[in-house]
Amino acid sequence: MRHEAESITPQKAANFVRAIAARRDREAFKQLFNFYAPRIKTMLMRGGAAGEIAEDLAQETLITVWRKADGYDPQRAAVSAWIFTIARNLRIDRFRKDQRAQLHHVYELMLPAAEDPPDVPFEAAERESRVRAALEGLPEDQVRVVELSFFEGNAHGDIAKKLGIPLGTVKSRLRLAMARLRDFLGENS
Amino acid sequence: MTIAHHPDEEALAAFAAGTLDEPRSVVVAAHVALCPHCRAIVAACEQVGGALVEQAAPATPRAGALDEALARLDEAAPPSMVVREAAPDCPAVLAPYEVGRWRWIGPGVHWRKVEVPESEGTRVFMLKAAPGSSLPHHGHSGVEWTCVLQGAFSHDLGRYGPGDFDAADNTVDHTPFVEEGNTCICLVAMQGDLELRGWLGKLMQPFVRL
Ligand SMILES: [Zn+2]
Repeated sequence: MRHEAESITPQKAANFVRAIAARRDREAFKQLFNFYAPRIKTMLMRGGAAGEIAEDLAQETLITVWRKADGYDPQRAAVSAWIFTIARNLRIDRFRKDQRAQLHHVYELMLPAAEDPPDVPFEAAERESRVRAALEGLPEDQVRVVELSFFEGNAHGDIAKKLGIPLGTVKSRLRLAMARLRDFLGENS
Repeated sequence: MTIAHHPDEEALAAFAAGTLDEPRSVVVAAHVALCPHCRAIVAACEQVGGALVEQAAPATPRAGALDEALARLDEAAPPSMVVREAAPDCPAVLAPYEVGRWRWIGPGVHWRKVEVPESEGTRVFMLKAAPGSSLPHHGHSGVEWTCVLQGAFSHDLGRYGPGDFDAADNTVDHTPFVEEGNTCICLVAMQGDLELRGWLGKLMQPFVRL
């Protein structure tokens, strides 16, 4: 699934969001839409959504980016991570069996109103490139678990079933992946 | 606030991926709201999600997708569902949910229901216990995740103060003891039924049926 062509740098993406917030810049929206919407669609389809539904949710994700651009905090998250959380919340909304699910509100309510200086040593953009570097070097079996979880949105128990491995193995692979992540983020001191 | 006990990393990862059930997510969120350390882990996980999105092969959009989206930009945003203020002595993450009134369930111990939709037998409630009281000696038929909101309790595995997170499973059989000084309030996601032990528990069980 690696696909490096026509990539968008974290700085560029942040500038586009800023341009939308500052002056409702439709050109900036187009750039973000063209890059992210087809990739969010891939993510949702890989998670089992039908093409049309995935397309609708990808559109909704980018419309939300347009509407909430003011609230984007570049200190807290890179644009890609922010967009991921929007798509994740829409996916939860759409696919939870229980339509009363309020979880998307919970994710927003847990963040401090004005973030105390983030408890991480880097800017979000730097964090993004370090996370990417950490993922690059992961063994294939760990990458698979990480993708099944974060990208495809499978519960750990379902990952175990899909891969035909014990739940404990899913968790230990995830733990190993996260240990590497922490190494790269310098949080193991 | 010094937080000593955190959710394990797999729980935080599932929470960040959006795959943890709603009752347990609510309790994890209550902890994350109080814990900068776990907030950073969740943010790193969300960045993993972001990196995977960036690296994904783009799907073919349907014809006219961009124009369709552009046409929607001037639409008024739908009135977002208004989220109330959380009830008094409830953490902010409970704002979307109805919270029941406190009910007496035993000497010094009160309980109130939190209307998070039940998931596979896991329910959410708050417990309030007077200083110096001991919670009923109990076992579990499933997982029990707790976030301390106020006060502190101790059991064999340590002391749990404000913000601390305690995950007990069906192998744990314990009697939490509430510290002197402060009333202890906890947010709990519990799967299955609480199995109360001892004469007091036997007496309380019919009233409680937690
Ligand atoms: Zn924590």
